[in-house]
Amino acid sequence: MASTRHRCYFFLGIACVILFLALLSVTATVQASSARQDATPTATPSQPEGEPDPRLSLSDEYCLGCHGQPGQTYELQNGELLDLYVPAEDHNNSVHGEMGYACVQCHRTVGEYPHEAFTAVDLRDASLRLYQACRFCHQTQYDQAQDSVHSTAFANGIREAAICTDCHSAHAVRRLNDPNTKERLPDTGIWAAQTCAKCHSAIYEVYRESVHGSALIGEGNQDVPTCIDCHGVHNIEDPTTAQFRLSSPQLCAKCHTDPRVMTKYGLSTEVLNTYVADFHGTTVVLFEKETPDAETNKPVCYDCHGIHNIKHVDDPEKGLQVRENILARCQVCHPDATANFPDAWLSHYIPSPEKTPAVYYINLFYQFLIPTVLGGFAILVGLDFGRSTLNRFRERRQKRPASETHETAEQQPAPAEDNSTPNNEAGNE
Amino acid sequence: MSIPESLKSVENDQAAVLRVFHRFSLGQRWEHTIIIISTLALFLTGLPQKYRTATWSQHLLSTPERLNFIQQVHHIFAVLLTLEVAYHLFKGLYLLSRRRLSSAIFPDWQDISDAWQMLRYLLFLTKEKPRFRKYNFEQKITYWFLFFGIGIMVISGFIIWFPIAVTSFLPGGIIPAAKLAHSTEAIVAAIFVLIWHIYHVHLERLNLSIFTGWLNERDMREYHALEYERLTGENAESQSTGGSQ
Repeated sequence: MASTRHRCYFFLGIACVILFLALLSVTATVQASSARQDATPTATPSQPEGEPDPRLSLSDEYCLGCHGQPGQTYELQNGELLDLYVPAEDHNNSVHGEMGYACVQCHRTVGEYPHEAFTAVDLRDASLRLYQACRFCHQTQYDQAQDSVHSTAFANGIREAAICTDCHSAHAVRRLNDPNTKERLPDTGIWAAQTCAKCHSAIYEVYRESVHGSALIGEGNQDVPTCIDCHGVHNIEDPTTAQFRLSSPQLCAKCHTDPRVMTKYGLSTEVLNTYVADFHGTTVVLFEKETPDAETNKPVCYDCHGIHNIKHVDDPEKGLQVRENILARCQVCHPDATANFPDAWLSHYIPSPEKTPAVYYINLFYQFLIPTVLGGFAILVGLDFGRSTLNRFRERRQKRPASETHETAEQQPAPAEDNSTPNNEAGNE
Repeated sequence: MSIPESLKSVENDQAAVLRVFHRFSLGQRWEHTIIIISTLALFLTGLPQKYRTATWSQHLLSTPERLNFIQQVHHIFAVLLTLEVAYHLFKGLYLLSRRRLSSAIFPDWQDISDAWQMLRYLLFLTKEKPRFRKYNFEQKITYWFLFFGIGIMVISGFIIWFPIAVTSFLPGGIIPAAKLAHSTEAIVAAIFVLIWHIYHVHLERLNLSIFTGWLNERDMREYHALEYERLTGENAESQSTGGSQ
């Protein structure tokens, strides 16, 4: 009786487990299929269980049936014409097309033709509405961009301030990083500079002539910084603030203290240390740490070396190794400076007998003076203290029997041995 | 000459009449006071500037306003010290021109032999402590070490205060050299005062003659026996037993 009931429970338990596993596998397949659906929505008709939005199951071919034809436009409220033509190869060659993303994954609400109404004041307004689609997948980058100087400019009413699609384009979105290593692709640096140049062309022209820009654009050098290396990628900081200025030496130092990069070009990695050791750098670094938003007139790297127009130090026009150039640079802040003045700055050198003999030998002098002379004085004082303490101790010992018998005032010890004893018997006369 | 209460009490119940000896003029005592005040202020305002990488210093100098303020204070006391140095030098030159400059503070061979004998005494090689004149060799070391130390500080200080004017006639390399000298000499002088001067005037014995102007007879006999004998015509040692009581 009892055994039958037990068996009954056992089978019931088995049935429960099987049922549970079955349920689990069903949900798993549903999830997997919907994921596959996301990745390649054109591949299969929608699964009956998921019941996805029918607007998401349209194939690219369906869209391109119309939008693949040039010459189609849509009139916006102010009369501007929105070009509706999307060349198929733009998307297919883009990083999105490469990974099999479909039109409707960005254009989620469009649906079958006839589409629901799209209203925009003008072309810019249309872009501003449409680029919100980037957030479906790239919310992190979108948020970073919200902290950028571009967003600040937009908030201040500049509608042209860059949004995602201004740099990345809407459909021909370029692959910038290696998908496996996540490292930047070789062409990304040049692409970035040219992308910024779309708006900041004057700066780009200057940069292209600089030691960094000419190496990047001319030689495809991957060691030199492109725009985004200094300014950041999505969260581009306002470079005109006091904060940016005070922290800028660290920006340069990122590469210029890296021996792996600098040794290739025979550049010193001591540039930051030597800057910090001198008047200007000490103060800048101090303020950067304590009051990062402090306004200071102390020069940072780019005040002397230039910002976008940085040149080789031996460049005849701008190079700071050329005496007239550095003097001119000093005179910007020290208008009365004369030809001798630039030597007051050690030019990032560590003091050596050849470059800066005065500093070197004064340092040597004190390295000798402090231990020998001050050390000597300290030893003399130590000896003096030892001997006088010993004397006092002896005096007390000698006095003790005397004071026991006489019990008179002679409490105070007379220092020293026989000579020069100022015994304190009230100095007569 | 009046005898202060403190000294009388030292000699407690004995009817003490203690001679005191004039040592420093009012002017010299004021000079010393000004040097103490100005060097202390310069040291305190200079230290955070020297150790700018230290956390405590960075809290003090955290804003451009604070840095500016502390530099202003430093400059004000620098001017005070410079005026004192100028007064000291001009007074010396004036006295020299009148042939009234005392030679007592200038080092001579006697000081070398005094120092040598003192060293032998300290090393227990002799029981004889050297007998000193108005200024013993230790005091001369104090004076001249700080004389040149303050000289270096004043000169290097003005060089880094007015770099543009200085480099109009001197090579630029003098600026970082002066900065290094200024910064290091300050520490050397501070350590020197701390271990040498403070020991000799506070620990070895409390010698306040630079503030009061006079030195008592006991110290006079022990530490300046020759000067004592010169002034009184008495034997500094014999007094210890032969004094009338």
